[in-house]
Amino acid sequence: MGGIEFMKEQTEFLKREYEDLKEKGHTWTIRSLLGPSEPHVNVEGKKCIMLASNNYLNLANHPKLKKAAVEAVKKYGAGAGSDWSIAGNMDVHIDLHKKIAEFKNTESAVTFQTGFAVNSGVIPQLAGKGDILISDELNHGSIIDGVRLTKADRGIYGHSDMGELEKVLKDTNKKNYRRTIVITDGVFSMDGDIAKIDEIYKLTDEFGAMLYVDDAHGEGVLGDGYGIGKEFDLEKEIDFQMGTFSKAFGSFGGMLAGSEYLTKFAFNTARTWLLSAAFPPHVAAANIAALEVVEEEPERIKKLWDNTKYFKKEIESLGFNTGHSQTPIIPAMIGDSKKAQELANKMYDEGIFALAIVFPMVGRDKARIRNQMNAGMTRKDLDQILMVYEKLGKELKLI
Amino acid sequence: MVFKIGLLINPISGMGGKVGLKGTDGVYKQALDLGAEKIAEKKASDAIKKFIFKYKPTRKIKWYTCSGEMGYNVLKNNKIENIEIIYVTKKENTNGKDTKNACRKFLEKNVDLIYFCGGDGTTRDIFEVVKDKVPILGIPSGVKMHSGVFAINSSAAAKVLNEFINKSLTVGEAEIMDLDEKKYRKGIWHVRLFGIAKGIVEPTYVQLGKASFQSVSDDYIKDELAEHLEEQLKENKNYLYIFGPGGTIDYIADKLDFKNTILGIDAIYNNTVVGTDLNEQDLLKLLKKYPKAKVILSPIGAQGFILGRGNLQLSPKVIRNIGLDNIIVVSTPTKLKSTPILRVDTGDKKLDKLFFEKEFIMVVIGYRLSRVVKLQTNKL
Repeated sequence: MGGIEFMKEQTEFLKREYEDLKEKGHTWTIRSLLGPSEPHVNVEGKKCIMLASNNYLNLANHPKLKKAAVEAVKKYGAGAGSDWSIAGNMDVHIDLHKKIAEFKNTESAVTFQTGFAVNSGVIPQLAGKGDILISDELNHGSIIDGVRLTKADRGIYGHSDMGELEKVLKDTNKKNYRRTIVITDGVFSMDGDIAKIDEIYKLTDEFGAMLYVDDAHGEGVLGDGYGIGKEFDLEKEIDFQMGTFSKAFGSFGGMLAGSEYLTKFAFNTARTWLLSAAFPPHVAAANIAALEVVEEEPERIKKLWDNTKYFKKEIESLGFNTGHSQTPIIPAMIGDSKKAQELANKMYDEGIFALAIVFPMVGRDKARIRNQMNAGMTRKDLDQILMVYEKLGKELKLI
Repeated sequence: MVFKIGLLINPISGMGGKVGLKGTDGVYKQALDLGAEKIAEKKASDAIKKFIFKYKPTRKIKWYTCSGEMGYNVLKNNKIENIEIIYVTKKENTNGKDTKNACRKFLEKNVDLIYFCGGDGTTRDIFEVVKDKVPILGIPSGVKMHSGVFAINSSAAAKVLNEFINKSLTVGEAEIMDLDEKKYRKGIWHVRLFGIAKGIVEPTYVQLGKASFQSVSDDYIKDELAEHLEEQLKENKNYLYIFGPGGTIDYIADKLDFKNTILGIDAIYNNTVVGTDLNEQDLLKLLKKYPKAKVILSPIGAQGFILGRGNLQLSPKVIRNIGLDNIIVVSTPTKLKSTPILRVDTGDKKLDKLFFEKEFIMVVIGYRLSRVVKLQTNKL
């Protein structure tokens, strides 16, 4: 029997709504990598330079991480066998928590399955009725979901607009909230700009609010690899430091670092921790190895930034606008969604695997190609990418 | 599927502006004598030309229109096919009656959109017949354009039409405003909310996760607003709640299960309606009886006024009684997008100055969700 015959009347809406998304151009084209994620990849049989991955330090296929994972598989097996809270917590997980705390210069740390699970699980527990959560308007969806799960009041301020944040905090001050928490991404992943953590901290300190930072795109990149806390010298001041292992660290999993009581509170109340299986021990081992590599190989971070500065300078000199980028996320602003999509497709034909970010992910006339740098790219790779940008940019009359 | 557009042009719209008449309703001959020229046809033609030649719509369109200057001429001059004239004007100088007659025909033909060229006066005439049965999109040409159905200019009107046909835009509420022109020429500024029509709006996208958005209807957001206010009412039983005019507040009132006046001001206390369609004196009496009060407002019209347009019953004396901190503004994100600055014009300079000093106001845009919005006072 074919797929259509399986569709019952009640599930007919699945096809209908999918077709509607397709008609609006809101569906994803998912490509597959045939091999590891590195600067040079095999995308469905086509050799490409990878410009769309979060693997900033090129650790996803690092021999040390692989070795650690393989040894852990041999020792512990494929999985943890249970939820963390019941029987899935292993010594390798504890070692990882200690390593994170040491790395982040905090009292304590705990890991979750994913970064998404940290935000959507922890945030709802931090606040309820009588509290307020104040968010940057461009925060990650996992933060939005976490906030929506609470009964706390929510305030939004314009993206990185400290004037508006101050106004929201002033308004909040008049209303006798029990707890006020300001939540922000550290690095905003569509524009590559950095949150003004120093100014945000100053305001939270002035108004007696707490500060929660999602450092997913900052770890391994900012603060000599140690993240945004170190970048702004505010490791002890940020009350909730959230991060992930799935980006610069090349592995998998989410983490939360802060005080001892934060982590105790988190793993006793967050449903995404309590009700999910512990991630596999080999992942924990690879994560420990990743943190060690970042400490032992600072040249990777330097190379990442050298590549970032070079690429940004050169693509701008071609005539592309890179918006507000301050990190290895460098958008090439195209404007029209169709044009951006067309450019991305043509880049793929030329062996460059890049992602077009289009409406409604970004504003209507703000479509872009999101270029993500990698410490493993050579100057030759970057020049190849730039050559393609120049060729296609002229062909499509973008420059 | 064929998309049916009802095209209507008010040929005399906008004539009064350049000659200082502040409107053209009822003063067409005077405008002519002062040397006024017709501008609407060119504005409509600019919009349609752009729509056809820049956007090259691929969807099949059927144009229903009126004879001569009221629509057919513009379509013919732009070489458009698939036209049906559904209303023939019998006289040289058309007026509001012709607009209304044409609209009745549009409704009979079940058009998907009424695309018109005119100002607030034309909008009012259309609305009197169409109400909220069919969405309306205006190519601005009039002297006064306070209503929320207008695109910014002819070029934008073409773009919006194209995006609506391609389903990138959706239908939402749009206030129809009405300035009394006779009073205005005597120096009295009296803008009232005439009705709530269907306009074309950006859909509200709720972010579900990274790079994943779901389009939600205005009603989804209004349900959240209603839920939010329901809780507020329960938590503050000893407050008088005054509900301002507008479609959003009307929707909320309906969800809260009490009858209200869509264009007027109503009040409830402890879940009981204590007044409907209240004027200033009624409000002052209630405020004497219930000294603790909050007023719920939403932005009105194309310029986002929360006070001073469409709710003059909320006089300076009433506002002072309630207190600036007890003003609750609710809005869908769509509305805020089209009016990112909210405006106040109470007519009382001292009171306006207090708003000016406030600089901003927190606007409720969802369940327990607010955002800070800049506040601007007129003339300051």
